[in-house]
Amino acid sequence: MIEDDREKILASIRRGLRGTERPSAGRSAKSPLLTEPDADFASRFAHFKAELSALGGEAATAGSETDLADIVTAKKTGAIFVYDDIRTGYGTFTSLLTESREARFGLEFGRGYDKREAASFESAVTGCVACIAETGSAVIKTDMRLPAALATSLFVVAEERQLLGSLDELFTDRFGNFEGSNLLLITGPSRTADIEKELVTGVHGPKEVTVVFVQR
Amino acid sequence: MELRSRKFRTLYKTEVGNAQLRANLSKATLQAVDKRGQSFAEVDFKFLQDEAKKIKQESLSRLNDLLSQFEDSARKNNCRIFYAQTPEKANAYVLDIARRYGARTAVKSKSMVTEEIGLAPFLIRNGIETVETDLGEYIVQLAGETPSHITTPAIHKSRTEISRLFHDKLGTELNSDPAFLTAEARRVLREKFLSADIGISGANFLVAETGDIVIVENEGNARLSTSAVKVHIVVTGIEKVIPKFSDLRIFMRLLGRSSTGQKITSYVSLLRGPSTEDEKDGPEEVHIILLDNGRSGLLGTDHQEVLHCIRCGACLNVCPVYRNIGGHAYGSVYPGPIGSLVTPLYFGEQNAPDLPFASSLCGNCTEVCPVGIDIHHQLLAVRHEIKSAKKGGVERFIFRNYRKAMLRPGRYRLAGKIARGLSKTPLLRYFLKGWTQHRELPRFPSRSFREIYKSAKAK
Repeated sequence: MIEDDREKILASIRRGLRGTERPSAGRSAKSPLLTEPDADFASRFAHFKAELSALGGEAATAGSETDLADIVTAKKTGAIFVYDDIRTGYGTFTSLLTESREARFGLEFGRGYDKREAASFESAVTGCVACIAETGSAVIKTDMRLPAALATSLFVVAEERQLLGSLDELFTDRFGNFEGSNLLLITGPSRTADIEKELVTGVHGPKEVTVVFVQR
Repeated sequence: MELRSRKFRTLYKTEVGNAQLRANLSKATLQAVDKRGQSFAEVDFKFLQDEAKKIKQESLSRLNDLLSQFEDSARKNNCRIFYAQTPEKANAYVLDIARRYGARTAVKSKSMVTEEIGLAPFLIRNGIETVETDLGEYIVQLAGETPSHITTPAIHKSRTEISRLFHDKLGTELNSDPAFLTAEARRVLREKFLSADIGISGANFLVAETGDIVIVENEGNARLSTSAVKVHIVVTGIEKVIPKFSDLRIFMRLLGRSSTGQKITSYVSLLRGPSTEDEKDGPEEVHIILLDNGRSGLLGTDHQEVLHCIRCGACLNVCPVYRNIGGHAYGSVYPGPIGSLVTPLYFGEQNAPDLPFASSLCGNCTEVCPVGIDIHHQLLAVRHEIKSAKKGGVERFIFRNYRKAMLRPGRYRLAGKIARGLSKTPLLRYFLKGWTQHRELPRFPSRSFREIYKSAKAK
């Protein structure tokens, strides 16, 4: 094992900071947004949709789980991976997908599953922790990171109450204390402008991102 | 990484003569500046900048406490922490982990710190295939070059050049459509992700309170590099730690806007460590390497604020010098205005004596800096230090005597006479040859104002 330089570095920091001021940043609680975040779901959704559409993603509302199934079936390509939170939370939707025999579910996979299998799904459906109107983002926390990361088409299913107005509401203790190894904000399709600043979507992650709010 | 910043005076001349490069740079940087401006329309930039600066000031002034707090949080999340004072130590540690795991392939996402320590070439030399997975970085790696911009590494290359490169190295057809080229890279790199053993990333922020490793990106390659592997190694600088989770509300709004004009990047990964028992994939081990490499030496000095930098690249895009010479001319991993500070300050002023002078001091960089670094005044201060350390020189001689002349009218008149006399001979031009290489020496009048005034009055 290589010995690290912890003590040396901390001593060097102490030497540098000796006798200097230690301001504790009083933080302003103010929001940097120039307009108030939208108050109700309808205006938040309109904002969310505008932001996500501008990035090439799609936002929709579904009156029922059957509507949700219609939206997913119409847009999806190839085999579809369904996360367990969807399987347990959306029974009707799940059985509609099962009937079409194109879906596989999280529970069929164990710890240390073959990652090539995850790469075989062109579509994935996951739930979310929150969505943010300000940026058109979906916040997801999954027990399998790969299917959502590798799919060409990603569906995020949300409930109306999960739509937050701004990032100020996300970066609070409520979400800061999340359980698990990762929390991910996804804002539209995977993209790059590395070649002559020309925008190309679907680089390593999904080319299509659809967020559906299901009315309960 | 080999530091070539001492050769700036040679390097910039080659780059500035490259018309294609200048056209590429101009197009890309102007577009970035335009998008940045638009993206700040809905938020109060000044407020965000002030808050970010305050948080960074606090982070640095409490760096010891925050690093200890971060360590505790990260250990609770089952991460392993390693402090490295030098690039050699950081590289050796990564190699050690790779060997312990019998790793053959490593996938790497974009990270300036790993560029700084030359990690990828080091691992490759030691038999571990290390693949850059950010598209721009991948292009640059295939070409055997180094990045020329902090956030857009292949900004210096045109689509035609990239098409030829892919054709030569990957055997793809000659097609310069960026969508085609990107799809080819996706195909090749996906296979690398699926066969890789270890993943290497940087970190944009480390949150002391929660132990979060925050990584922002647009392509999804960082997400895969940190998820599709057994071991995730984070290599980052000690200055990246911030106190609170809620501080991210400030930085997330600043970073995407400042770098690419996005309200937020496509992906923000908040990673807490290896996968938990309930999770079915993700790394089994997460190692966090905290690198010093000259950073702690800036604490308590007038240059401490340079450590605020969040590597957005906004100062590069607005810099008239960068726009004309590009990143390679600086001979350092860190180019542009911020690179002209970081390079001499981290790696020694003697190693980059010319970089702080590669600025028109127009102040554009300071204006756009999201964390409020007074970049152009910092550049001036480093210039002063470099010049003060140097003895002799024509410039110093001239200004010392200029000062003397300006303090006494008699000396001033005498100096004027000498200067006017000298200006008629090639001597002055010879002494000032460095200065006159790209400038016209102003023509001296044959008589001084006093002489003209006197003779006019006499009439």
